[in-house]
Amino acid sequence: MTDRSDLLLGGVPVARRFGLINWLGLATFYRREMSRNFKIWKITLAAPAIRAVLFASVFGLAIDHENAVMGGLPFMTFLIPGLVTVAALERAFESSAFSIVYDKMEGIFGDLAVLPLTPGELVLGFSAAAVSGSLMVAAVVWLALLPFGGSLPHNLLALAFFVAIGSLMIGLFSQIAGLWARKWDYITSVQTFIFLPFVFFSGVFFSLDELPNFLLPVARANPVFYIVDGIRFSLTGQAEVPPMFGAVVCVAVTAILWAVSYRLFSIGYRMKS
Amino acid sequence: MTEIAENRDAVAKMGHTQATPTPKVREFGHVNWRGLWTLYHREVKRFFKVFTQTLAAPVVTTLLFYTIFTVALQNRVGTVGSAPFAVFLAPGLIMMTILQNSFANTSSSMMTSKIQGNIVDVLMPPISPLEMLCGFLGGGLTRGLIVGVSATVAMSFLVDFPFHNIAAILFFALTASTMLALLGMIGGIWAEKFDHMAAITNFVIVPLSFLSGTFYSIQRLPEIWQTVAQFNPFFYAIDGFRYGFIGQGDAPFWLGASVMVGVDVVLFLTVHRMLASGYKLKS
Repeated sequence: MTDRSDLLLGGVPVARRFGLINWLGLATFYRREMSRNFKIWKITLAAPAIRAVLFASVFGLAIDHENAVMGGLPFMTFLIPGLVTVAALERAFESSAFSIVYDKMEGIFGDLAVLPLTPGELVLGFSAAAVSGSLMVAAVVWLALLPFGGSLPHNLLALAFFVAIGSLMIGLFSQIAGLWARKWDYITSVQTFIFLPFVFFSGVFFSLDELPNFLLPVARANPVFYIVDGIRFSLTGQAEVPPMFGAVVCVAVTAILWAVSYRLFSIGYRMKS
Repeated sequence: MTEIAENRDAVAKMGHTQATPTPKVREFGHVNWRGLWTLYHREVKRFFKVFTQTLAAPVVTTLLFYTIFTVALQNRVGTVGSAPFAVFLAPGLIMMTILQNSFANTSSSMMTSKIQGNIVDVLMPPISPLEMLCGFLGGGLTRGLIVGVSATVAMSFLVDFPFHNIAAILFFALTASTMLALLGMIGGIWAEKFDHMAAITNFVIVPLSFLSGTFYSIQRLPEIWQTVAQFNPFFYAIDGFRYGFIGQGDAPFWLGASVMVGVDVVLFLTVHRMLASGYKLKS
């Protein structure tokens, strides 16, 4: 009775072997994330473009004089990099967090824990999807804003770098938020009460010089500021802090968030319960 | 042993219920007040349960919008008409959030019920299409107005509102909220997936509420768009509401008021017809 060998019909099944990284698993996971995000491209790609165009239109219509200046640039030239940043970061935030919470609500999030994917591969998969989604959104929004006075990027390589590092940072943050969230409520709260204020006060719509002096150090402590400033440098060639410095700050913050997200996936925080 | 005992108990109970008189049909007059109240109550509880999402978030977003637009534009716009930009902007933003939340409430309620299949729970009870309409509409109005009042209170710490005409403020808040709650029902009945609903919100409702004069006087628009704006009920909602706050508007008060009432009546009849015919609901 206790002999279970009859269950192994064809002998002992052989485990699939892979090297340091389970590339097939990682690619499959990445594909799932991407198809999940862009199956609803109207919401994830077209809607951000429309929203950016709306913002550009209302700002453009509201300013009185054509030669309004912001942060040493013509107003629209200043605004467009900000709008590209908002769209890219919003996509990065929604990419991982919504996916995680959706799975949690469906009760299938625990499935990730039994896949032959290491925590590092999960973080990598979620992050890769967030970054590639954000790059796409940034490109689409930039194109949509061309008629509003956009121009060719000043430095394409820097642009790709800052969009990628920015969306990686926010993507990791959203993984942490997603792991923490027990319901949709949690994640929309993080979005409205933490993410949006951080983004809106990072200098996307106005130069930090417009703020009262005592707020300047506070605003400069916001990591999102360095993303926006870097993207603005890449598009217009003008920045408030040296781009190299901004890049270092972005990489450092991203590394910390990566470590946190990795740790949470490793211990299965609110995942293996 | 226990099984037999349980059976005996069950039989005894059956005998007991048979002894009581058959239940009577509850009578009600022209209006099933209790049914209407129950539906309204459900609609309100629905959004109150997630109030951080449905009440707090819109108010915070409105304040954020107010801050970024004033910081960015205050020194670049000066005054709109005779009003400082900040005072001009605030009522428009409040109206914008009223519009969006009234729409969100009825549309998402209808949509969720349809997707989850519990729409039958609203179609089966003895409530008429008119009562059903009023229940949903009441939910949308309640959310729109709570968000509107909260945003006004929060804003009044930042902006010095003249409060020119309270009656006009209330009138436009009510009629605009009604308009969007009814539109939300039409959207909710028509849409078959959350996708459709998100498309309506993103491509119709948000653009209309953005471009209808929240951030600028329509006199700044090219002439052709000024004409278009005169056929846009969102414009009258925002303009009239702002008139109530600052005593200055682009359209005459009575024109705005009549447009709002006219649109509301047409939408009301449309939704009633849809509910009565069971369009896309009783399939």
